[in-house]
Order: sequence, then C-alpha cells, then structure tokens
Amino acid sequence: MTKIRVLLALAAVAMAGGLVVALTAPLDGFQGEFSRIIHIHVPSSWLAFVAFGVTAISSIMWRIRKNSVWDRRASASAEIGVLFTALSLATGSLWGGAVWGTYWDWADPRMATTALMFFVYVGYLALRAASPDAATAAARSSLLGIIAVIQVPLVYFSVNMFRGLHQGQSIRPDGATMPGGMLVAMLVNVAAFTLVYIALLAARTDVKRQEEGARALQPAAGDAVIPPRFDGVPDV
Amino acid sequence: MRFWPQVIEFARRDLIAERRAGEVVAIVVPFGAVALMTLPLALGIDSAVISRVGPAMFWVVSLLFAMQIALRHSAADRPEHRAMLSLLGIDPFARLMGRSASSALLIGVFMAAMFPMMILFYSPDLPDGWPAAVVPTVLAAAGLAMVGTLAAEVTAGLRSRTTLAPLIVAPLAIPLLVGGSQALESLGKNGSILPWTLLVTAADLALAVTGALIARPLEEAAR
Repeated sequence: MTKIRVLLALAAVAMAGGLVVALTAPLDGFQGEFSRIIHIHVPSSWLAFVAFGVTAISSIMWRIRKNSVWDRRASASAEIGVLFTALSLATGSLWGGAVWGTYWDWADPRMATTALMFFVYVGYLALRAASPDAATAAARSSLLGIIAVIQVPLVYFSVNMFRGLHQGQSIRPDGATMPGGMLVAMLVNVAAFTLVYIALLAARTDVKRQEEGARALQPAAGDAVIPPRFDGVPDV
Repeated sequence: MRFWPQVIEFARRDLIAERRAGEVVAIVVPFGAVALMTLPLALGIDSAVISRVGPAMFWVVSLLFAMQIALRHSAADRPEHRAMLSLLGIDPFARLMGRSASSALLIGVFMAAMFPMMILFYSPDLPDGWPAAVVPTVLAAAGLAMVGTLAAEVTAGLRSRTTLAPLIVAPLAIPLLVGGSQALESLGKNGSILPWTLLVTAADLALAVTGALIARPLEEAAR
C-alpha cells in the first residue's frame, strides 16, 4: 500500500512538472495556444497503446500460468487504456475543432480507427462485467484481450497507410519533425503520463485483489440456514 | 469422423433446428423489414435523401441483424451438450465452422430478403452492373457469420449475451461493412470492386485463422 501511495505521489508531482513544461513550451506559429493540446493528446494516445499492449501480454501470461495476478493486471490495464483512449478522443476532437474546423471527420483514418478501438475495449470490459465469476471473466476476456491488440498497430500506422487530416508520425527513425523545445515538452509529458499509468495500474490491480478477497469472504447463500436437530425425537 | 464431414454435420443439424424453430424466417426477417421502414419514416418526405441512404441502411440492418441470426436461440448449445461433444472428441473448430456455415446461409437468406425491400422502400439509383456486388456481399455474409459465431461462443451462457455479443462484434465487423458497402459505391463511380472484394476476403481469412487459433481455448472457457 505504501508503494502505491509513493507511486501516486510521484505521478502527481510528475504531472505538475509536465503541466509547467507544457505551459512554457514554445508554440506552433499557425496553431498558437491550441498547439499546447499536443502535450495531453499525444501522451494519452501513447499510453492507450501501452495499456492495451500490457492487457494483451498479461492475457497471454494468464493463459500460460493461470495465475489471477495476470488477469487482474490485464483488466486493470484495459480500464486505464479505455480512460486514456477517451481522453485522446476528447482532446483530439477539441483540437480538430479549433484547427481543422471540424470536431469529427469520418474520412480521417486515425480518428475512425481510434473510435473503433475504444468500443472494442468497452466490449472487453462489458464482457468481464457480465461474467458470473472471476475465473469465467478471465478465461473469456483473455481471448478478446489477445485478439483486440491487433488494432493497436493498425491505429498507430493508419496515418502512414491512408490519407486523412492527421499529420504523419512526428518522431521517425530519421529524426523529429517538430521544434526541439516542443519535442522535449511533449516527451516530458509522455514520461509524466507513463508514471500516472504505472501508479494507476498498481492501485487498480491492488483494488481488484482486495475485491476478490472480500468476495471470497462473503457468506454463500444458505450458510445461515441451520439444519434441524432430531436429537430426542421419538421414532414414529 | 474427419474434419469436413463434422463441419457439414453441424451445419446440417443447425439448419434442421432452424427449419423447425423458424426463428430467422418468421421473426428476424420481418423485424429487419420493420427496421428498414423506420428510417424513411423518421426522415420524412425527402425522396432524394432516402434514395441516397438506401444501400447504406441495407448494410447497417444486415450487420446488426446478422448478430441476431448468429445468436439465435436454436444455435445455442447447453453446457451438457457441449460436454458431450467434447467427450466424443469433436473438433471445436469443426463445430465453429459448421455453425458459421449455417449462420452464413441464413444471413444470406436475410440479405436476399432485405435487398428487394430496400429497393421498394428507398428506390435507390443502382449503378449498371450492380449484380457484380453480389460477390463481396456473399463474402461479407460469411465474415459476419464467422465474427458472430465467435462472439456467440465468447458470450455463451452469459445472461446479457444478446446485447453483449453485438457490442463486441460491431466494431470488429467494420471492415466487412466498409468492403461490402463501398463495392456498390465504387460501381456507381465506374470503379472496380476488386479492392473491396479483397478487403472482405482478407477480413474473412483473418477471422477464420482467429477461429482456428481460439476454438479450443474458447471451448474450455465456455465450460
């Protein structure tokens, strides 16, 4: 528990630092203040990919080891991934509204594929919620967790594969396409968001462990029923 | 029994059950027709818009009702039945393929029934050579059946399966929806249907490979 508190405190400090860096970072000449959204949008998108990757790896590990720790980690990571994807969609939409003049464009492959990815993982969480017990939830959702991760490279490379409003990759093997100050601020925020993800993952996994423990302690139906005693009752 | 005879036997058994129950023909097809009717009623008297959205509405109804067909009650196995099949050494992938084959045929019947109704209610301007779009449509029906069957297996035995399975399936079936609907659009612009047919074929193959890989774990999970 202390470790989780330390992680959460570190994440809060890192987010505060990230916010300061984002507010003092150089601006894009054309977009002005709106370009600061990049410091939330890109880290949240990146962390969504990481979270779903962790879900897939943890699902594979659960299928190999059948240890509930991996299942808790997979579901906790999916929950956080859905949260980050929602944040990415919301910030992207606001940014698009300000810069492109439209909050949503179906012709943009990154937007459309991200929305699809969001709903697939909402389905993953719904499947878990609908399962009657932890073992069933783990057995079924692990398969979906492994299959669904195929979308992550599809979403990531969609800007290179299809034409749309989104710009191409900003960081490539041959260098970055953005000014140094802006890039550093974005990377600081990516690091801060990563710390938030790690802290949330640890906290949520621990909550799930406690929930499972509490569920195991709950009395089963019929526990309170006392069988009748027949001592001293004469045979008829 | 070898693989393909098992597949055929499962498909045959499902179709016999459907003939007796009449779930698709007597319930899903009329419900689909009602769904097709609702949009023109909601849109009002705007013939141009209604005519333009007709084919799209046909695909949306096909996608959503394909899930109803894949999740039909007569194609749901009870746990005892599953256990018996497992004890008999039946290949889980053969069961999956057999069920997909019967669902594909029924989805095909559903789409064949909806198409003339869409023409009747929406009066769309169909491009010359529109019958060529039957190929990607049939392939899309097969894909919808496969993805629907996989979702039905993942949600087998859960109380909310009829709502949950479409939630899981609808986003995964988008390549089939896009491929099938855009083939007709492409014909209207004097384009080729080949890229869209290839997209649907690739999605079908990906679903078949996925089914082959997860059929056994799915069977274990459903116990």
